[in-house]
Amino acid sequence: MERRALPPCPPAPSPGGASVRIRGLEHEYGSGARRVHVLRGVDLDVEGGGHLALTGRSGAGKSTLLALVGGLERPQQGELRVDGEDLSLLRGDALSGYRRRTVGFVFQHFGLVQVLTARENLELALSLAGVPRAARATRADALLAEVGLEGRAGHRPGELSGGEQQRVAIARALAHRPRLLLADEPTGNLDEEASAMVLELLERLRAESGCTLVVVTHNPAVAARAPRRARLDDGMVRIA
Amino acid sequence: MSHRDALMLAVRSLLRRPLRTALTVVAVTLGSGLLVALTAIAGTADSRIINELGRGGPASAIKVVAAEPDRSAPDSDVLRTGRPRDLDEAAVRAIRRAPDVTSVEGVLQTPVEVIPLPPIRGMRADAKGSDRPTPFEDNLVGADLSRPRDLPVTILAGRLPATHSLTEVAVTTGYLDRLTIDIDHPQAALGTEIEFGAPQIESGSVVHMRGRWFRARVVGVVAQQVGDGDFLVPLDQTRQARSWEIAGGADPDGGRLPTSPYSGLIVVASNLDQVHTVRASITVLGYATSAPEHLVASVLKYLHVVDIVLGGIGTIALVIAVLGIANALLAAVRERHREIGVLKAIGARDRDVLRWFELEAVLVGAAGGVLGAALGLAVTAIVGAVVDGYLVAEGLDGIDLGTIPWGLALLGVLGSVALSVLAGTLPALRAARLPARDAVGSL
Repeated sequence: MERRALPPCPPAPSPGGASVRIRGLEHEYGSGARRVHVLRGVDLDVEGGGHLALTGRSGAGKSTLLALVGGLERPQQGELRVDGEDLSLLRGDALSGYRRRTVGFVFQHFGLVQVLTARENLELALSLAGVPRAARATRADALLAEVGLEGRAGHRPGELSGGEQQRVAIARALAHRPRLLLADEPTGNLDEEASAMVLELLERLRAESGCTLVVVTHNPAVAARAPRRARLDDGMVRIA
Repeated sequence: MSHRDALMLAVRSLLRRPLRTALTVVAVTLGSGLLVALTAIAGTADSRIINELGRGGPASAIKVVAAEPDRSAPDSDVLRTGRPRDLDEAAVRAIRRAPDVTSVEGVLQTPVEVIPLPPIRGMRADAKGSDRPTPFEDNLVGADLSRPRDLPVTILAGRLPATHSLTEVAVTTGYLDRLTIDIDHPQAALGTEIEFGAPQIESGSVVHMRGRWFRARVVGVVAQQVGDGDFLVPLDQTRQARSWEIAGGADPDGGRLPTSPYSGLIVVASNLDQVHTVRASITVLGYATSAPEHLVASVLKYLHVVDIVLGGIGTIALVIAVLGIANALLAAVRERHREIGVLKAIGARDRDVLRWFELEAVLVGAAGGVLGAALGLAVTAIVGAVVDGYLVAEGLDGIDLGTIPWGLALLGVLGSVALSVLAGTLPALRAARLPARDAVGSL
C-alpha cells in the first residue's frame, strides 16, 4: 500500500499519545450468586505513544479493561487515569466528550453503521468531533485514501470485504486524531492477508500520529508485533 | 450530532426495513384518516341537522310579532304575547341596529277566503264520495321572497313565487293535507289554481261584506315557519290585501282595524350562540319573540356527544396505530443495540441517540398523518357524494360539504406527529440510555 501523509484535521488537545495509569482497578458484574469478579486489582502503565498488546484467555477481563480505559464504563474501584484525568470522575456528557476527544475504537465486528456509505460513516464521526460540514467530505475522502479505499467511498459496509470494512473502521477511529487508539481483536474476523494489511496500517498510522495503541488479541502473532505485551490472568495483569 | 445527520440516519434506518416502515405508516394513515373522516362527517351531519331544525332556513331565525312580550317568559320557545303593538319601520330599524343581527325581513299576513279550483291531480274523494274541494278560511303569508336564505322556508317541490308576482303562490303541506293530496308526492299540487278572496267590511249602520278576488297558480310546495298560514306569497300581495281590508273602515272580526305595517318579522342572528342575546335585545325594544332556542340547544348538546364519540373512535384508532410506531421502534432498538453502542463509543451523546429515534417517529407520524388526512378528506368526499345522492333521490335538500376542511386536515397531521413523538419517546429513551459497554457486545 502506498504511504501518504495524514491530511489536515482538527487540532488534538495535545500532541502525541495519551498515557494510561491504572492502580488497583477492580470491576465486577452481577450480584449475589451471579456476581463475577472480572478485574481483581489491575496495575498497569502505558506510556504516551506506546504500543501494548493485551492478551489472555476468554473471560479474563481483556474487553472489560479496554472498555474502562475507553470510557465505555466507569471504574468501580481503583485508580484509572488517562493523561492524568481521573476517569472515575467523568459521567454522562463528560464521558462522551472524553471518548470523542481522546479515544479511537477499532472493533472486531468493525462497528460500521450499515445504512451509511464508507464516506458517510467517516463524516458522521467527523460531525461528532465538531468538524464543520464543509470540511467533512474532503477530510473523509483523504482518510479513505490514506487506508487505500478512495474508490470505495460510496459503498456501504455490506458491499465491502471484511478487510476493507476494518480499514474504513480504522480510518473512522483516526478521523478526530485520537491520542489513544483501542483495538479489540482487530483481525479476529479477517483472513491472514487482510490481517497483515490491517496490522501494518494500524502500526504505521500510530507511528505517524504518535497516538498510544492498545490491542486486545488472542492471536500470539498479533501480540508479537507489539513491543510491549501484558497478559490478564484471573483478573490481574502479568507483564510478559 | 447535527439535526441533519440525525435526519439522514433516521431516513436511512427507516428505509433499511421498508416493509416494516410501510406497514407502520399504513397503520398511522388509517388511524389518522379515520379520525379526519369521522370528524369531518360529524361536522357536516351537525350542520345538516341544525338546518333541518330551521326547516331549511337559518336555525338562528327569530320570529318577532306585532305584540308586546309576555314578561313572565320572554325567552320561551313558544310564542307568548302581551298586548298588540305596531311593528313599524322605526321598530325594524331599531332591531336591525341591534348587535349580532344579520338580517330583518318583514312579514305581513292577511285573512283570505280560499277556493281551490279543480281539477286537482292526486286529490282523493272524501267520505261522501266528492272530489270537489270545499272553500275555507286561512291566511296569506307575505314576505320578501328575494332573499329566501334569510327565511325559515324549505322548498319541497317547485319554487317560490317570483318576488313581485301577484299571480303565484306557494302552498304548505297543510294545504295538501286539506285536499287529501299525498304529501310524499307534492308535485301533484304544482300548476293548480286557487281563488282567494280578501275580505272588506263597509262601516255603517248595515254591515256589507265584499271580497277582492284574485287567482294564483301554485308554483311550489314548502315547509315554512314565516307565519301562520298555508299560502306563501310576495309581500306586495298581502299589502294590497291589507289596503283593501283597511279601505272598508271596519274589521271583519268586529275588532279594530289593524294599523301595523308588519304582522311580524323574521330576524336572523349572526349565529346560534347569539340567538338568546338578540332575542333579549328585541324584548327590551318591547316586542314578543319566539325561536327554537331551547330545542336547538338540546339538540346541539346531543350532537356534541355524538361528535365526542366519533372523535373518540378516531382518536383510539390513531392511538392504536401510533402504538405500532412504538412497537416498531422498540424492535429497532433491539436490532441496533450494537450500532447504538458504536455511535456512543465514537462520541455520540445520549441526546444524539434520542434525537435519532424521535426523528424516526416524527417521520413515520408525519407521513402517516399527511396520507391519512388526504385519505380522510377523500373518504369524506365519497361519503358526502353518496349521502347527497340519497337525500336528493328522497326529495330532500342535498348536503354541501363546502370547502375542504384544511384546518381539520392540518389538525390530523399535527395530531399524528404529536402522538408519534409521544409513542417514540419510550423507545428513544431506552435507546439513549443503553450503556455503551452493553451495546458494544464483543468488547
